[in-house]
Amino acid sequence: MDEATPLLSVRGLTVDFPTDDGVVHAVDDLSFDVFPNETLGVVGESGSGKSVTSLAILGLLPKSARVSGEIRFRGESILGAKESELRALRGDRIAMIFQDALAALNPVLKVGDQVAEAIKVHHDLSKPQLEDRVVELFDLVGISQPRQRVKQYPHEFSGGMRQRAMIAMSIANEPDVLIADEPTTALDVTIQAQVLEVLERIQDRTRSAIMLITHDLGVVAGVADRIIVMYAGRRAEIGTVDEIFYESKHPYTKGLLASLPRVDRRVVNERLHRIEGQPPSLIFVPPGCPFHPRCPYAELNGRCDSERPPTITVGPGHFSVCHFAETLDERPTHQ
Amino acid sequence: MTISPPAQPPTPPTSAPTIADAELALVPGAEPVARSNWQLFRRRFLRHKLAVVAILILLVLIVACFGAGWLAPYPKNQTNLLITPGGPSAKHWFGTNPLGQDMLTQVMYGGQISLKIGLAVAFISTMVGVFVGALAGYYGGWIDQGLSRFTDLFLIVPELAILGVAIQRLGRTDNAFIIVLAGLGWMYIARVVRGQVLSVKEKEFIEAARAAGASSRRIIVRHILPNCIGPIMVNATLAIAAAVIAESTLTYLGLGLQPPDTSWGILLNQAESAVTSTSTFYLVLFPGLMLILTVLAVNFLGDGLRDAFDPRSEH
Repeated sequence: MDEATPLLSVRGLTVDFPTDDGVVHAVDDLSFDVFPNETLGVVGESGSGKSVTSLAILGLLPKSARVSGEIRFRGESILGAKESELRALRGDRIAMIFQDALAALNPVLKVGDQVAEAIKVHHDLSKPQLEDRVVELFDLVGISQPRQRVKQYPHEFSGGMRQRAMIAMSIANEPDVLIADEPTTALDVTIQAQVLEVLERIQDRTRSAIMLITHDLGVVAGVADRIIVMYAGRRAEIGTVDEIFYESKHPYTKGLLASLPRVDRRVVNERLHRIEGQPPSLIFVPPGCPFHPRCPYAELNGRCDSERPPTITVGPGHFSVCHFAETLDERPTHQ
Repeated sequence: MTISPPAQPPTPPTSAPTIADAELALVPGAEPVARSNWQLFRRRFLRHKLAVVAILILLVLIVACFGAGWLAPYPKNQTNLLITPGGPSAKHWFGTNPLGQDMLTQVMYGGQISLKIGLAVAFISTMVGVFVGALAGYYGGWIDQGLSRFTDLFLIVPELAILGVAIQRLGRTDNAFIIVLAGLGWMYIARVVRGQVLSVKEKEFIEAARAAGASSRRIIVRHILPNCIGPIMVNATLAIAAAVIAESTLTYLGLGLQPPDTSWGILLNQAESAVTSTSTFYLVLFPGLMLILTVLAVNFLGDGLRDAFDPRSEH
């Protein structure tokens, strides 16, 4: 497949949840592409719509969700497709790795059987073939003594091993798109590094595209090719890792990066930089740019609090959703 | 299937030992031991001492009752008017009744029907209850509304009255008892299963199964019901006990089975004289004891099975 044709393309995705307190605007007019064999980091704080986006792609949103926009996989529209068509895609062409492997594995089924099941629902394989394939997958994700391990239950695995088993399950059918929803958040740093290394190795082999959802900038810096930064259910900035980390043209991204602890810089007063204020309620999203109440560059009583910022192209493939994207570096801040 | 062998094998796990390997090497006995499902199940069950005693008692009862044709000391319903009715003795362990029938023989044959009714009712009502409860809990919405109201309807009927009338209509046979008792007993299991399904279906592994492309049917059968097996087992065993007691109650009241059929209920019914005379208390004692033993054993068995079915109870 041509590397320039997107595998997965999301256009104007909007997801609302009607609740008793009002309509929650979980995702608002989100557009992005996922290209073959790339790793797209999806970054944002809790409640920025990352997970809802991944569930929307798989068609797993609860019935109460109101969804609009367009999601295309290999050119075919899959948003609102028939359940049977979606089921054929899920786990086979688009697979998902869940954050908490202990919760995402069935406690009363053997781990090997669960991985085998992921294959069985899509392919007709004989029992010995299935067993061999599961052992091969365990081996691939670095689970030692796979022949014995497949017969164990999730609670007999360590946290890192469980996440590896989860990965084995999601790559069982060599999917085109692998959505990893915070795959390393529940793990300690050492295991985190191992799991990320497994993901990279898998990608080298299967040429899957990976959508790596995380709130950890350190994780995406290491593995992603491109990054999409989300804020309040909208995209704030899209660009390559270098563009996001070194030439960010969005105040929110800049704020996030500034708040990272750095070994090469002494922190003034021993305190880390922070973004003032709280992330907005998704029921009452601020008008204009949702970030303006917290933005040090915001133009008060100007466009920021009244007009939705357009998507500004600041470089080839580098977009920033900010009124002042092009002149941000020269703008005075009021902090 | 489009799985091709890797053109270039990625870093073979053997060349670079991971930290996890090192971890395993450090802990003695950390080598994973694979045990068969049955071995694990047996080990967890055997730890439950009362359940082991219970299953032994049940086995003895089942063998004694269903093997009565070979094991009973006297033929069924044989009357011997030449002997004086009396309490337990070497020739008649459980004594004899006023008709001169050997009570041990009668209790063994009576158990055939009582146990058969108990087991069959538990099986059928569990099947129906699980089916209704799983559908209602999983699909929710109007399916749940419909099925739950239907269940409620069965729960509010006056059980004893319906039982009495239905048994008269269908004939006073053990099969009629099974149908009617199962028809009036599935709602409890349906409610429990519905509640369990409601909680299990919100678990993340159900979402993960759905994300892997599993169908609703597969999710219910493979993922949800195995996680409800504990409550289902406990309630199935309770249903055995309830059915055995219901049969005895109705028969004791004269609304159920009739001689020459015999059941523990009939034996209790025939032992009415014991109410007025303390010298014939053994006529109530032995059938009653069997009833109590069965009900208790079945309850302990339920506890043991619940723990044995749960792989997490290993730790």
